[in-house]
Amino acid sequence: MSQSTPTRRGADFYILAAFFGLFVLFLYGPMLMIFILSFQGPTGGLTFPMRGVSTHWFHDLWSSSRYGDLGGAFRRSLILGVMAMLITATVCLFAALGFRRRFWGAGPIFYLSIISLIVPGILLGLGISQLFQILGLRLSWWLSGLGAHLSWTLPFGLLIMFAVLNRFDGSWEEAARDAGAHPWQVLRLVTVPILFPGLIAVALFGFTLSYDEMPRSLLTVGGKNTLPIEISNMTTNVTTPALYAIGTVTSAVSFLVIALAFAGIAIIQRQRSRAKRGKN
Amino acid sequence: MSARSPGSGSQLTPYLQVAPLALLILALVGIPIGTVFMLSFWESDGISVYPAFTWQNYHDVLTASVTLSLFANTLKYAAIVLVATVLIGFTCSYFLVFHVRNLKWQIGLFLLCTIPFWTSNVIRMVSWIPFLGREGLFNQMLMQAGLISQPLDILLYSDFAVVLTYIHLFTLFMIVPIFNSMAKINPNLIEAARDAGANPFQILTGIIIPLSKTGIALGSIFVVTLVMGDFFVVRVMSGGQSASVVSAMKNEIDQLFYPQASAMAVLLVLVVVLMVSAILRVVDIRAELAR
Amino acid sequence: MTEQSRIDIRQVTKLYGRAKAVNNVDLTIDGGAYCCMIGPSGCGKTTLLRMIAGHETPTSGTISIGGTDVTTTRTGSRGTALMFQNYALFPHLSLTDNVAFSLRVKGVRADERRQAAREMLERVQLLHLADRVPSELSGGQQQRVALARALINKPKVLLLDEPLSALDEFLRLKMRVELKRLQNDLGITFIHVTHTQPEAIALADQVVVMDHGLIEQAASPREIYNRPHSPYVARFMGGQNVLSGRVESTDGATAVVAGPNGLTYDLSVGPEVRSGQELRFSVRRDRIGTTTGAVPRNGLSGTVTNIEYQGTFVKVALDTGLDEEFIIYMDDEAYFARPRDVGEVVHAEWNPALNHHLPGANNSAGTPHED
Repeated sequence: MSQSTPTRRGADFYILAAFFGLFVLFLYGPMLMIFILSFQGPTGGLTFPMRGVSTHWFHDLWSSSRYGDLGGAFRRSLILGVMAMLITATVCLFAALGFRRRFWGAGPIFYLSIISLIVPGILLGLGISQLFQILGLRLSWWLSGLGAHLSWTLPFGLLIMFAVLNRFDGSWEEAARDAGAHPWQVLRLVTVPILFPGLIAVALFGFTLSYDEMPRSLLTVGGKNTLPIEISNMTTNVTTPALYAIGTVTSAVSFLVIALAFAGIAIIQRQRSRAKRGKN
Repeated sequence: MSARSPGSGSQLTPYLQVAPLALLILALVGIPIGTVFMLSFWESDGISVYPAFTWQNYHDVLTASVTLSLFANTLKYAAIVLVATVLIGFTCSYFLVFHVRNLKWQIGLFLLCTIPFWTSNVIRMVSWIPFLGREGLFNQMLMQAGLISQPLDILLYSDFAVVLTYIHLFTLFMIVPIFNSMAKINPNLIEAARDAGANPFQILTGIIIPLSKTGIALGSIFVVTLVMGDFFVVRVMSGGQSASVVSAMKNEIDQLFYPQASAMAVLLVLVVVLMVSAILRVVDIRAELAR
Repeated sequence: MTEQSRIDIRQVTKLYGRAKAVNNVDLTIDGGAYCCMIGPSGCGKTTLLRMIAGHETPTSGTISIGGTDVTTTRTGSRGTALMFQNYALFPHLSLTDNVAFSLRVKGVRADERRQAAREMLERVQLLHLADRVPSELSGGQQQRVALARALINKPKVLLLDEPLSALDEFLRLKMRVELKRLQNDLGITFIHVTHTQPEAIALADQVVVMDHGLIEQAASPREIYNRPHSPYVARFMGGQNVLSGRVESTDGATAVVAGPNGLTYDLSVGPEVRSGQELRFSVRRDRIGTTTGAVPRNGLSGTVTNIEYQGTFVKVALDTGLDEEFIIYMDDEAYFARPRDVGEVVHAEWNPALNHHLPGANNSAGTPHED
């Protein structure tokens, strides 16, 4: 972040800016296209040109029986997302607080969490499903499926909490204790409120990572699919823009969640740096 | 007199705090990986799986000629994607950190890059199909501009499409750690170098690249493990023509050959761990994560 | 009140691994006194402060406040309040809620505690900012809020961890006055950790000089400044030259000491000093005069190595051939009547009554010149 003394931009700025702009286009362009194509006319195909504009394919998703249990899958993915979000935020908050001190087993637990990110998802899915098999338990989306999702969200949550706690000053907790607060009061009145934006970030990761997760879910959900699994099935056997329509719907949910998280964080930051004027 | 600090709780506190995570990670990661490892020594006849201890699966995997070509193919993808993501990720991070002066813009543009990460990878992959196909937008544009007379076939359902999709999905994993490393570079270092007469290229190679090493290493670990572990992109975007180690694994799983798939999985993990260790020689990750 | 806020520290040691941060320290701080603990970084003053506050527990020894043993009492229930070096104001709360925090923890009702907080803020002249958040305040203002937050609980002892270090010079001097006035008004014990000598002697009723986990001397500021106990204290507090020599003869009240450069000094000593003994003594730098020629007794000659103007006096450093520089604080008018140059020879002399015997050896191994 160099505040260089010359105030005029050199040629390199414009070249790099153009490159960056192209990259952003590269990132968002394709998605934008399928959003547009999801409003394809009833006679239209998977590519351009658009033959009319309609919400036909959205209705098709809803009403047709060709696409499997999309409604149920959607519901299950949402529920799993919320469960994963809550569990990840709570577990990673306390774990990161614990990691501030040295304790026996800290290294192995940390590395095992990282290993979960490195191994292919499907391997973990195989392991969990076979483990259940061996133990004689039935695979179900809300147990083995949830477990598989947690194996993905917990390491991310932990890493983010580490980054958040890096900026956290332990003297706030000391000051609270000095004022007579018990450990639970310190947590409730000082630690969690101050860390709240970070917790929102962890919650965001927890929800979206679970909501979009596919490789680990494949083998562990049991009989009822989650939405990403249904969509991945559709890529091979659906040849209509209904595929794009479901893509638009699920992306809309993702964007909504992202927007809520960003808004929440922004509001809190604003509150902490600006006055509530005139409330004397 | 005990040396306990009454302020920060008993010695037991960190154990209680980490216990939920420890139990979950053990149960959901540690034991399943162990299960797969154990499975790799079992037997299967395509119908059910029998507990046993045999090296047969490893023998089969290691002697099959297709194994080598699978690894070669997957490693080929990993190498190309790695180079591309490093170049693109480095350039974008460099732009954001050193050329965007307003902090709010910096963070805003950075977040702009990260938002797609929070949407579905499957959808992002699928979104390339209308663009790259024979009747896709790109071909149409090229034909209208008169650059080509026949639509290009190699854009979709090819190695090109696979690599392109990997780059699209995974460049972010390179941008985030490199951005992080670059942002920590003390601007005074660059001022001092300029004072001493260094030109921008020298500053880049002498200061910025060395100090971004950690970020590049971290990003490389992410990209390499993600490409090596993929089975979906390679299958769809190559139109079924190409395969990766994990996609072959998935085939075996579909046919209930769990032990064989597990042996291949163990082999893959070994190769990936070797690659990660090689990258880790360059940098101390623990210290970096703690900063 | 004063007995209630008396602090007794008995044989307190704090170990971190094998490092002795605080090494078997004994100290009594009278109730209602302003005590300053001073020493270089790592001397243990902050550790000792935190043990009194209850944020660290002694490895051995006891700490009593008002006669009650609080060694293992939880912080927050000992009647102490700590003002942190970085203030540690809660960023997510308004000033009012920051100050009211300890009342909230005790379960006091919202309107009651907010009212008490506002009264406290008024006392530190910050009522007009009561609804602001800490990030909007200047350093000096944050400190006053931290004070208000610490005092609202009516502690018996207020502990201040380098409270003035983060302030600029002007504000520091102003806040010094405020702190003294506050302590006078409240009548409670203040324990103030600092590494600035003028601050310590300006504020304190009792100065505690520490080094390497040990107390070198604990006494009134005048005692510390005029009659330091050991060479370390003499050097650390500044304002003294330390000289060494061997006793040639003594009559039990005055000794004749031979310095290393052949000069002789007359020194008041106690009866325990023996002939032939090596000892050290100090001379105040501002009480040294200059003459035209070398003097054989109670004087010193050297070459000027450095001259520093300090407003009311000029600091003239001499190289006398000994290990340490010999420094004279010359009155500024006297200096400018006859300025010196670097390299010039200066002859110093002084009243032998100013020679002060340093009876103590350094308790610790360090000198103020070391990090």
